[in-house]
Amino acid sequence: MPFKKPVQKFNAAINAVELGVGEKKIVLGGQNVMPFYTFDNAIENPPRIGVEISDLGFEDQVPGIRDFYAGCKTVADMAKKAAELEDVDFVCIRLDSADPNGENAPVADCVETARAVSEAIDKPLVIIGCDNDEKDAQLFEKVADALQGKNALYLSAKEENYKSIAAAVGLAYGQKVGAESSVDLNLAKQLNVLISQIGVDAKNIVMNIGTAASGYGFEYVISTLDRVNSAALSQNDAMLQMPIITPVSSETWAVKESTATEEDMPQWGSAETRGISMEVTTAVAVLASGSSAVILRHPTSIKTVAKLIKELI
Amino acid sequence: MAKFITIGERIHCISPVIREAMNNMDPEPILKRAEEQLKAGADYLDVNIGPAESNGEELMKWAVKLLQENFDNVPLALDTANKKAIEAGISVYNRAKGKPIVNSADAGERIDNIDLAAANDAIIIALCSKEGVPADNDERMAYCQEMLERGMMQGMEAEDMWFDPLFLVIKGMQDKQMEVLEAIKMFADMGLNSTGGLSNCSNGMPKHIRPIMDSAMVAMAMQCGLTSAIVNPCDLRLMETIKSCDIIKNETLYADSYLEI
Repeated sequence: MPFKKPVQKFNAAINAVELGVGEKKIVLGGQNVMPFYTFDNAIENPPRIGVEISDLGFEDQVPGIRDFYAGCKTVADMAKKAAELEDVDFVCIRLDSADPNGENAPVADCVETARAVSEAIDKPLVIIGCDNDEKDAQLFEKVADALQGKNALYLSAKEENYKSIAAAVGLAYGQKVGAESSVDLNLAKQLNVLISQIGVDAKNIVMNIGTAASGYGFEYVISTLDRVNSAALSQNDAMLQMPIITPVSSETWAVKESTATEEDMPQWGSAETRGISMEVTTAVAVLASGSSAVILRHPTSIKTVAKLIKELI
Repeated sequence: MAKFITIGERIHCISPVIREAMNNMDPEPILKRAEEQLKAGADYLDVNIGPAESNGEELMKWAVKLLQENFDNVPLALDTANKKAIEAGISVYNRAKGKPIVNSADAGERIDNIDLAAANDAIIIALCSKEGVPADNDERMAYCQEMLERGMMQGMEAEDMWFDPLFLVIKGMQDKQMEVLEAIKMFADMGLNSTGGLSNCSNGMPKHIRPIMDSAMVAMAMQCGLTSAIVNPCDLRLMETIKSCDIIKNETLYADSYLEI
């Protein structure tokens, strides 16, 4: 009897969400198979890679990143440089300077930065806040207004501030809302329900269900991704079919494996190599578990992950 | 295993409003009932046109097109004793949101509705009775087996045969209720899908009691593995019970707003 290859079929798909405008716009999601299961059905939109820059610059970063941006005078210069990386599909600007516990830059300044970045690049833009719920809400409203028509994604709306962010970003200015939960299945779904109930079309929502650096409670991250993916595909749960974006670099470059100096940890070898390994390992694991996009920092990590995606899809 | 499927029962020619609308082919009352049921969370809508001996084909075609055009190709259960009318309905049916359901076959006179469903790639509701109420589960399961074999012989997938244990009225047949639940368990153990006119159990009870009794019955039946039921989706307590049971069974992922979606 000839071998008949079993095909895992789902009557459901991850939403296809468009980011950016013009020639370089991209689509996140759209797949109706398990991650990288191209043998079950074609995956039209391979996972995407974003490069992360901060409006505080990368002065304190490892040589490979610092050297890459050498000569850049402004954040817009950095964005331009980042966008030129061949394997990069979109650029993420972190508005770290807005943090009230840090520089506490006024909203107007951040809007200017975002505008300058958006004008410097033609790839899609992701705006990341300063991780202060109140400030992010003020920030995103003004930035979304200034970037109307750019179809940018804003990370993120959380349980604490989703109302104003979803209303401004998703409804008033017609851009993409990132719904962030921290590795909590039920909250991930609930937030999508709440944002949908405000009137934002499910097709304009992207999820960030949270992550950790690999080795840091990471099994829980992976099982959350698995469960969300299985609810979306095998249970056809419309409230979990938003594509997932995972900011990897902000986690992996903050753990001791990446930050410990070679003087302190001579037996661990090159700090930069360790940092890249952490970034690549984490990114690959979340992609293999259903994330439709990852956000990275180091050019070598970006190249490595891009190669993996190309080889598999 | 999958999420419980509700088939809304309120487009039924036994209701005077619907009967009149069907007689005059007046869309409004039918659309209104369809909308109410879909809003309340019905997955399928049952369309019962009665025996419709004279104009069944025309009427069923009209009803199928009317509902599917107005409600995004809502999947339907075509419910009539008139076989030609069912075939006519399927001929204009859009499958984008799910196969049509033929309601229904039994192990007696209506067994050839299985052939009809098989020939039209439809789902069949297979009522486990021949003449009246089966005496016990031996009889029920013999009918189940007989209909299953008939369907398989015609090339049907077992998953397209939804077995109906025949829900019985509690007032009068109280001693038979656990048996019905056991039959559902046996269907589930065989990996078969099931459905049925669940609210029959509360027939004759005061109006305020019926949602309570129906909710208890659906919860117990879902525990036994019931995969679908023909219900009044506008019964909020019943729908909330079904959604809650789906959560407990891990068929839908919990979120605080689960009752609102």
